[in-house]
Amino acid sequence: MPIIETKNLTYTYGEGTPFRKTAVDDANISIEPGEFIGVIGHTGSGKSTFIQQLNGLLRPTSGTVLLNGKDIWAEPKKIRSVRFQVGMVFQYPEHQLFEETVLKDIAFGPGNMGLGQDEILKRARWAADFVGLSEELLEKSPFELSGGEKRRAAIAGVIAMDPEVLILDEPTAGLDPRGRDVLLSQIVSYHEVRHNTILLVSHSMEDIARTADRVLVMNSGKVSMFEETEKVFARDTELETMGLRVPQITKIMAVLKAKGYPVTTVLTIEQALRQLMPLLERGSRKHG
Amino acid sequence: MVRDITLGQYFPGKSFIHRLDPRVKIVITFVYIVFIFVASNFEGLLTMSALILGVLLLSGVPLKQYFKSLKAILFVVIFTSVLNLFYGGGRVLWSWGFVQITSGGVSNAVFITIRIVSLILFSSVLTFTTSPTELTDALERIMKPLKLFHVKVHEIAMMMTIALRFVPTLLEETDKIMSAQKARGADMESGGLMQRIRGLIPVLIPLFVSSFRRAYDLAMAMECRCYHGGEGRTKMKVLHVSGLDAVAAALTLVVCAAVIFCGIYFPASLH
Repeated sequence: MPIIETKNLTYTYGEGTPFRKTAVDDANISIEPGEFIGVIGHTGSGKSTFIQQLNGLLRPTSGTVLLNGKDIWAEPKKIRSVRFQVGMVFQYPEHQLFEETVLKDIAFGPGNMGLGQDEILKRARWAADFVGLSEELLEKSPFELSGGEKRRAAIAGVIAMDPEVLILDEPTAGLDPRGRDVLLSQIVSYHEVRHNTILLVSHSMEDIARTADRVLVMNSGKVSMFEETEKVFARDTELETMGLRVPQITKIMAVLKAKGYPVTTVLTIEQALRQLMPLLERGSRKHG
Repeated sequence: MVRDITLGQYFPGKSFIHRLDPRVKIVITFVYIVFIFVASNFEGLLTMSALILGVLLLSGVPLKQYFKSLKAILFVVIFTSVLNLFYGGGRVLWSWGFVQITSGGVSNAVFITIRIVSLILFSSVLTFTTSPTELTDALERIMKPLKLFHVKVHEIAMMMTIALRFVPTLLEETDKIMSAQKARGADMESGGLMQRIRGLIPVLIPLFVSSFRRAYDLAMAMECRCYHGGEGRTKMKVLHVSGLDAVAAALTLVVCAAVIFCGIYFPASLH
């Protein structure tokens, strides 16, 4: 059974005013447990509105969101329990830190779940360990941390709730290249250990290509593609008309293919090397 | 959503009222508000209300918006007029024990209601048709004589401009932080008063922190552009008084004169 399913999901801002705008238009998707989904789309394509409906922060104008087969708005009073099952990390999550110590801040989410004190602390430490925050940082004030550490503390605050589905909205935005790589591999290893479902929203096609099993492409409020990563990035001309692009290495290989070389769609530099090295060796043997 | 709050919102437009010089508008509003209290009888007050109605229609701002601004103070209006019902002399219309409603009381209540509504509507016209920058610009100009008493007029005006500029930004930020904390299971909608206040802490602290961050950034950006206070600073939009302003001022004078005239020739309506 799919863990998340949307049926005719539509969200309209400013209904009944001259400013009404349909941000999400009739979205039908289905996500299986354990999948790693990449979400891409131009700015204003409705990605943020879409993902905020998945954990009940926004209530759909029409259509339904099914979590484990159940409509999340069937009992509006219990919407908080949905938010514990579908964790959401917003853009620049470090802006939400507020507690006296890092550990207390990470424990805010589990604390709201009504767990026992031991369990709360156990989870908070476990989450801090996942994102690579060392023990001595946990007793500091969150405002003393560096930018990258704050970001990781905020992400740990959501991971600590141990959600079945984790949604991350551009988690690497504004980090330096090394910080991006580290954070991204931490997310991947978290996924490998927990086997939960992850939705990663990103403007970096390279990040998406490295991590996602399937890619959801949003364009002016509609779901325009939802397929395996290779299949999506093979449609490079279509993506470009939506103001998106494919990873650089994918583009290079697509051009080579168009020129008649025997190569296929690749997503990472390693994959490209595996195809190009034999070709180069054959070429040098022919000429050598 | 927090963003839906309308508070002194500006409606861009090109109406007669919009095109008036903001300084003239502020002075007229001030004079008018004073005269709303000078008017002591229905004749004078209704003359003013009639003009206010005309100005509302002229402003081109949807009347719905004016109703909205009235709705915000509905409670005050009802409270004061009900209170006034029980005071005042004249014929007794209804009594129950020591409580009695008299014809004078009814007349007082109606009078006070018209007065408050007129007051709110007229000041709404100012904020609806004048952009915040124009408003502070004009205030700076009007308060200029205070410089003699070492009042930092320019700095005050600049602070007002910045404060107004950041209202929507902070509202948006509040929305975002609230969503983020709700995503972590923060409960802001249920519980008693104390619990609700405690529920706001996770929103207020990040909001304070980000306000300070924004203030530092803004100060830096202003210094990078060589901002050094009001001394020798010129304006991009220089305010001009035009013929339109003369018409508006003349009209105001006529109405004020009418109010004084009514005050002399008709009996006072407040008892």
